[in-house]
Amino acid sequence: MSILTDISENLQRGKAKVVKELVQQAIDEGVPAQQILDEGLLSGMSVVGEKFKNNEVFVPEVLVAARAMNMGAALLKPLLAESGMKASGRVCIGTVKGDLHDIGKNLVKMMMEGKGIEVIDLGTDVAPETFIKTAVEQDCQIIACSALLTTTMGVMGEVVKAAEAANIRDHVKIMVGGAPVTEAFCEQIGADCYTADAASAADAAVELCK
Amino acid sequence: MDMKAWLHEQLTADKRRALPILSFPSIQLLGITVRELISDSDLQARGMCEVAKRCPAAAAVSMMDLSVEAECFGSQIRVSDDEVPTVVGSVVNSMEDAQALKVPQVGAGRTGVYVEAISKALKLITDRPVFAGVIGPYSLAGRLMDMTQIMMNCYDEPEMVHTTLEKATDFILAYIQAYKDAGAHGVVIAEPAAGLLSPDLCEEFSSPYVKKIVDAVQDDQFLVIYHNCGNAAARMVPQLLEIGASGYHFGNAVSMEEVLEQMPGDVLTMGNLDPVSVFRSGTPEQVRTDTLELLKRCTPHKNFLISSGCDIPPASSWENIDAFFAAVEEFYQ
Repeated sequence: MSILTDISENLQRGKAKVVKELVQQAIDEGVPAQQILDEGLLSGMSVVGEKFKNNEVFVPEVLVAARAMNMGAALLKPLLAESGMKASGRVCIGTVKGDLHDIGKNLVKMMMEGKGIEVIDLGTDVAPETFIKTAVEQDCQIIACSALLTTTMGVMGEVVKAAEAANIRDHVKIMVGGAPVTEAFCEQIGADCYTADAASAADAAVELCK
Repeated sequence: MDMKAWLHEQLTADKRRALPILSFPSIQLLGITVRELISDSDLQARGMCEVAKRCPAAAAVSMMDLSVEAECFGSQIRVSDDEVPTVVGSVVNSMEDAQALKVPQVGAGRTGVYVEAISKALKLITDRPVFAGVIGPYSLAGRLMDMTQIMMNCYDEPEMVHTTLEKATDFILAYIQAYKDAGAHGVVIAEPAAGLLSPDLCEEFSSPYVKKIVDAVQDDQFLVIYHNCGNAAARMVPQLLEIGASGYHFGNAVSMEEVLEQMPGDVLTMGNLDPVSVFRSGTPEQVRTDTLELLKRCTPHKNFLISSGCDIPPASSWENIDAFFAAVEEFYQ
């Protein structure tokens, strides 16, 4: 078994400490950082994402796998920066104003990171102007909004309007998700993309960032 | 009330009544806010009574307010006028916190208000059973520990999770006993967070604790309905059946037929119209269509009782709720 397969398989089991050691070992053996990222970490996370979509693994398994990926990726970050490698896209994500639920948002964030996207996490209770300011200042291609409450999902429409007012709609896509959100609601408020689960959100973000 | 007879009736009657988780929309009937409702036992009892007068439901159910128990343990909550309260932050962040966590007395926080409301509702509602509502142990522990964190702690700190679960279970047991002493005919235990777990983790971190509660409180006069609206619930039906509840209530994230195919014919199985896209955001015509369609698909299973997939949001229109009951009546005509 190659060390990259080993990294991928341990990541899928959420073995953060082992993944970190193996990534360090791969670096020491001279495996290029990009290859470790693509064929070890992201490949492992991609398997987890697929299994999550198919109900073969569940929320806890995704969370521990994502944490293992992040621990490995932290070792690679300076090496990737040195070689001028860039993330495949940049997203700012948050749970909208008035809403404090964040497990769905956290899952989407981790799934997106698992696809090699840089994610700026704005947390919960995020005002529309904060999404817009971050997207402009950090040059994000996507604003991703989450909501669990029927009374807060309307804030997503305010985010769309604020993006229009800031003249960023031509280059910033808006994704929406959360238990009460539907495709019809996404269309109604003029957002660009709705997905029903975290893994599909990550896949959609990759496409939108191309 | 002979609740075994009531249960038998629900399983065998040709003309069925629905049993939606319907309580918070009472704020519209009373002209009050959620903020007012959750802290006043008179308003809660009156609200349940107004809902019962208007709706031919199989039973009356109390508020599914899943912040009450965590608040007793010291969690901060955020209250608003038109939404069910939310727990903020976490109070158990380490094994030391879990060990030091004190099990509150029933009556602490707003639990006394809720128990009192059931006593009062029982005087006002006499034509059907009155069910109280409580949170399940894993869902309570998740609110005490932070929901994302408890999911990871199942792998990282299982002992810490079990310590918190034991205390959560002790409290829930005493809380349900207080409802039973007040005369409630049963309780709906809401364990939605367990529906995010794998069947194996559910078997370790939720089901044994719920079973302990069911074994202690359920008898011929007091039934337990287990609610799990997570998307993994259909995969864990065998584990859930071991809990031994008299009724099971599922959310709209699962296929009701897939669940019903696994349920024994003598176990009441409820669900699962989408509370948001149908009751909250739909139109009366959509409610009618979706209700009839679900009934058509599931009625071959004699143990099916139609319900909402979770609690119906406070601001759902009464036109939609009325359309739901009318469609149920139309179907069974």
